[in-house]
Amino acid sequence: MASLETDVLVIGGGATGAGVAWDASLRGFDVILVDRADLAEGTSGRFHGLLHSGGRYVVKDPVAAEECVAENVVLRRIVADCIEDTGGLFVVTPDDDPAYGDAFMEGCRKTNLPAEEIGVDAALRMEPRLNPGIKRAFTVPDGSIDVWKTVWSLARGAQQHGARILTYHRVIDLHVEGDAVTGARLRNERTGEELDVNAGFTLNASGAWAAQIVKMAGIEGVGVIPGKGIMIAMNHRLVNTVINRCTLPADGDILVPIRTVSVIGTTDERAADPDDIPPTQEEVDAMLDDGERLVPGFREARALRVWAGVRPLFQDEKAGAAEVDTRDVSRTHAVVDHVARDGIGRLLTMSGGKLTTLRLMAQDLVDAMCRQLGEDRPCTTEEAIPPGNEDGELYSIGSRLRAREKTMQDEQLICECELIGRSKLEETMRRRETTILDDIRRSLRLGMGPCQGGFCIYRATGIEHGLDGIDAATASDSLRDFLQERWKGMWPILYGDQLRQARLDDWIFQGLLDVEHLP
Amino acid sequence: MTVEHDILGDLMRGSLDHCIKCTICETACPVSNATPLFPGPKYVGPQAERFRVSDEASPDASLDYCSGCGVCTQVCPQGVHIAEINTQARAKLRDRTGHKFRDRLLARPDVLGRLATPVAPLANLTLRAKPLRALGEKLVGLDRRAALPAYPGRTLQGWARKRTSPAAARRVAYFHGCGANWSELQVGQKAVELLEWLGCQVDVPRGQLCCGLPAQSNGMFDLARKYTGRMAGVLAPSARAGVDIVGTSPSCTLMLKREAREILGMEGHGDLRAVSDRMYDICEYLLALHDRGELRTDFQPLPITVTYHAPCQQQGHGVGKPALDLLALVPELQVIENDAVCCGVAGTYGLKHEKYEIAMKVGSRLFQQIGDAAPELAVCDTETCRWHIAEATGVPAVHPVEVLHRAAGLGA
Amino acid sequence: MIVVIGAGLAGLVAAVKLAEGGERVVVLAKGVGATHLSPCTIDVLGYAPDRVARPLDAIADLPADHPYVRVGRDAIVSAAAWWRESMGFVGSPEKNVLLPTAVGALKPSALVPETMAAGAGSDPVCVVGFRALKDFHAALLADNLVRAGIEARSVELDLRPEGRVDANSLAFARGFDDRVFRDAVVRAVSPRDGERVAFPAVLGLDGSAWRDVQERLGRPVFEVPTLPPSVPGMRVAKVLRERLRRAGGRVLLNNVVVGAERAGERVTALRVRVGLREVTYAADWVVLATGGFASGGLELDSRWQPHEVALGLPVTGVPAEQRFVPEYFAEHPMGRAGVVVGRDLRPEGLANVLVVGATLAGAQPWKEKSGDGISLATGHRAAELILGARATTAPAPDAPTESSPAEAR
Repeated sequence: MASLETDVLVIGGGATGAGVAWDASLRGFDVILVDRADLAEGTSGRFHGLLHSGGRYVVKDPVAAEECVAENVVLRRIVADCIEDTGGLFVVTPDDDPAYGDAFMEGCRKTNLPAEEIGVDAALRMEPRLNPGIKRAFTVPDGSIDVWKTVWSLARGAQQHGARILTYHRVIDLHVEGDAVTGARLRNERTGEELDVNAGFTLNASGAWAAQIVKMAGIEGVGVIPGKGIMIAMNHRLVNTVINRCTLPADGDILVPIRTVSVIGTTDERAADPDDIPPTQEEVDAMLDDGERLVPGFREARALRVWAGVRPLFQDEKAGAAEVDTRDVSRTHAVVDHVARDGIGRLLTMSGGKLTTLRLMAQDLVDAMCRQLGEDRPCTTEEAIPPGNEDGELYSIGSRLRAREKTMQDEQLICECELIGRSKLEETMRRRETTILDDIRRSLRLGMGPCQGGFCIYRATGIEHGLDGIDAATASDSLRDFLQERWKGMWPILYGDQLRQARLDDWIFQGLLDVEHLP
Repeated sequence: MTVEHDILGDLMRGSLDHCIKCTICETACPVSNATPLFPGPKYVGPQAERFRVSDEASPDASLDYCSGCGVCTQVCPQGVHIAEINTQARAKLRDRTGHKFRDRLLARPDVLGRLATPVAPLANLTLRAKPLRALGEKLVGLDRRAALPAYPGRTLQGWARKRTSPAAARRVAYFHGCGANWSELQVGQKAVELLEWLGCQVDVPRGQLCCGLPAQSNGMFDLARKYTGRMAGVLAPSARAGVDIVGTSPSCTLMLKREAREILGMEGHGDLRAVSDRMYDICEYLLALHDRGELRTDFQPLPITVTYHAPCQQQGHGVGKPALDLLALVPELQVIENDAVCCGVAGTYGLKHEKYEIAMKVGSRLFQQIGDAAPELAVCDTETCRWHIAEATGVPAVHPVEVLHRAAGLGA
Repeated sequence: MIVVIGAGLAGLVAAVKLAEGGERVVVLAKGVGATHLSPCTIDVLGYAPDRVARPLDAIADLPADHPYVRVGRDAIVSAAAWWRESMGFVGSPEKNVLLPTAVGALKPSALVPETMAAGAGSDPVCVVGFRALKDFHAALLADNLVRAGIEARSVELDLRPEGRVDANSLAFARGFDDRVFRDAVVRAVSPRDGERVAFPAVLGLDGSAWRDVQERLGRPVFEVPTLPPSVPGMRVAKVLRERLRRAGGRVLLNNVVVGAERAGERVTALRVRVGLREVTYAADWVVLATGGFASGGLELDSRWQPHEVALGLPVTGVPAEQRFVPEYFAEHPMGRAGVVVGRDLRPEGLANVLVVGATLAGAQPWKEKSGDGISLATGHRAAELILGARATTAPAPDAPTESSPAEAR
């Protein structure tokens, strides 16, 4: 059996794990990062894209709010290319209590969040599609963040400092010798091969799956509550500012303009199994109604895709409450010290948290590891710039459109909805060394526009097949898998324009290409 | 609610949601099929619109190659208002990049007319003298080969003031447009005479200037609104009195029928609404009379061969090709229907130096068909198309009413 | 006046047959029809759910409300004969042939244009692709044919029509109509003995380039339909529209039917939105050919209610709860939704409205590979039914009010 040696094994390739790999590799540790699937395929890849100003927490969770206020600024500095400065609005809708606005402003003051009340007219001028019945409006420094870009930037930065990133490698066992974790057994999900990693330290950054991982070391009862939330991506930016409902956190209270879409979210429901979280029709119906409250005419706009993500909510078991609205659980994060808690060393778990504080979470986790190792290696991630963000310029929505002007006469456009050119696609396919088209989707947004791959996926399959070593059987499977993956997010939301699109795509994939009957 | 809302404008932009990328618009676009410089209606309209922030200028300069012919919107089976999205995006682009002096001129055909008419012989000389045209191309960007109108030195308005229309049961108001007023007076005169022969009493409302279309096409929306508002004010009394308004320029009539409301955010303008509801292209109007059995059809035989090209903006009315049905009423007239989508000039587009060759390529199929048919006349409803076709083929180009006028025995 | 709503294959077939039968026909359409998207082979029945070798024989096993069962076997036979004769297609609804698709699957078709006929059979194939045509991947096609047991190889040419790096099928079709480009292609392809040569379906705007290429290569040449825009579909649409025009019919685009006026069981006029205006068209007969959900003839709103958008006819087959299942290639609960009609293609309660094509309930055309077959058979049958009805009743006087196509409000 093959085995690898490393200083630090990081389990979980979401935002936390990528941040940890980056942080630890900058501090000179040799790092291996593993994920059972592609990076950010889990929770990180399924959130709405909000770069928190902190406004959503100022009343109920001021500690979390303060963290967001600070980290919002840091992230804009270090991963500028991944962040759009959309600004945010908190609006009191006709269904909300205007007095809450005062509590909100008080909370902002206390947490140093630069919020400002503006007139309703001003808000409607800013965002003409907003509900004209809103009663109060406040601006906040929300932004939207492209999580895949962020995660891959951090991962590539870690690679540049020697880290190894192993996607599609599932942890199937943790090795415990005596009272310490010494590494893990992995299974390569694509080949079935197993291998061992011997690690000086193991950092569990697997979020909603953290409890499942530590169970492999015999550790029980780590209080991670998977909180399921569904989100719907709408075909275009109904708004260009993040819109938050100014009320205690509720379902469907946020609409985020992220890249070319706007995402409405979310719900909050305790889930037993973080892998069994299908969106239900009731949830979809409710979310569309929530959308109407923020943007009248929402139901006539086009919905592209619905998905569910699962938040890792940490609840200290000692606090005891069994039936609790998962929304009431603190959204701040915590390092779980397994030496103190379970008598097992060289293992630390990160629990809770939210994407905006990913860097801080990584810092806290790696700091805790250094303390336990007795190593004095300071964190540099507040200033270090991971690859792709060197020019310090925030992302702007027109960037791909501008870039395409320059390449229009020289290069084929493969994904037209998201403006992806052929050379970029081929380069990414080669670099990622993957045949899974869904991985390319995450890297480039391939197939994430209105046609959801209807036109570009056949092209991408043909291009993939043209790369070295990829035969027709693999390419054909890749195509079929992509169609199935894509369908998962489409079928619960098929009505109106998107149903029409789906039927046209059925005509293409079944009526014209007959993919189903490929050998 | 206190914020004024451009409801139709939102509908235009919001219609991008209906795009399912089917490519049908791309098959029809005359410009993207003629040159790769224009990425096509699907790209520039619903696709790029997702990358635009509503009040900022779009970074894609290639959108400027859209000629505004509107064929994409006509063929789209999903109801995406592609051409309208493009026109709005172009206006924002121009606001940022600035308006060329040439475009400011082209946006004001009434001003050009007023300046040129008193000095018509000189104006015409200037517009035809090769060295001056070459200079014009260098200084201002007007292609030296582009077909420009000639100015007879009189106006249609002037002619109309000197006569009265015989009283008749049916009244119509004639909306002449800049072309018929300043350049092709014969079109306006013949239209009025034909309408009278057909039993209409024809008002020619005074003070008609420009409908605003050239300003809109060139991205000057404030100027366009001024023009449109003023024109609507001139025609509104007729409309409110229950008098139908007919025009001989399908581009101008389409502007007031639909485009100004959709693109300029003038949906709330009372005069425009009234005028829009009563606006007709003259062939549309005459065919409707014929279908009700109310049209005189005692035309004399006209044993000549003509071609007929339906301009893209005439097709934008969505009424088919009524000119064909009307010409079919003329005994012995041979009409060859052209099946080209656009002649290329698209209003002021083909006059511009950077667009001229594209325009000629777009029109090449039509010119070939006309050349092959060797007709006596090339019939076409829109004035700029006529000038462009005549220049390219050498065949005289006339409005359908001119043929009907002749067949009615009203003149050569 | 007969009004056909929809300018897709079903609508154009009905309109052409009616106009050539002497009727006054106008086609009202929101835009160009799905002809431009479809390969325009006439697939009669490919899977039910297993692969079908003899479509006509398989009709008997279809569910009772399937459009083929409604119109009957004979309707399919006569429609196919009409199509074959008037459009120059080859083949028959009696027996399917297997044609390679752009991804290399083998799909059953019944009637095919002659430009595609040599795709049937299992002789070795040389697939020719073009780097500038991203919508066709010759190597993938060839390799998948090999997996299916057919000897195949591929060649990718770097020839660019009009110098375009990113050319669609239409640009390539124009290229093939140009002698210089065509020559370059022919020079670059050297087929071996016994080989057929496959190209993407771009061999000229009217297909004549196909003949020239085949002659000069000296081997059977066939087109393979690929992603839209469909050049073969555009050829079919052009021929049908030209026939319609010559027979005196009209097509009005951007005319959206939004409702109907009725007197008892008859529709007397259609309400049509043209631009920002609503006009009425009087109609003696109406053929509803607006397509299914793909074309927007049927819609599902955000509360999961289906609508037939032109006339408001009832739509069956959409369950209140789950409309789809998670497996993409499975049969979905709402897969056969549409408007139900009797054997004479009329919905209940309407005497002069016939429904054709993908608007009909009872079929899953993309899955069965039956779309164009249904459009052809039902469009043709509808025209026959109306012509028959008109022949047996005394023709109404040609009163202008009855046949005025446009009367503004």
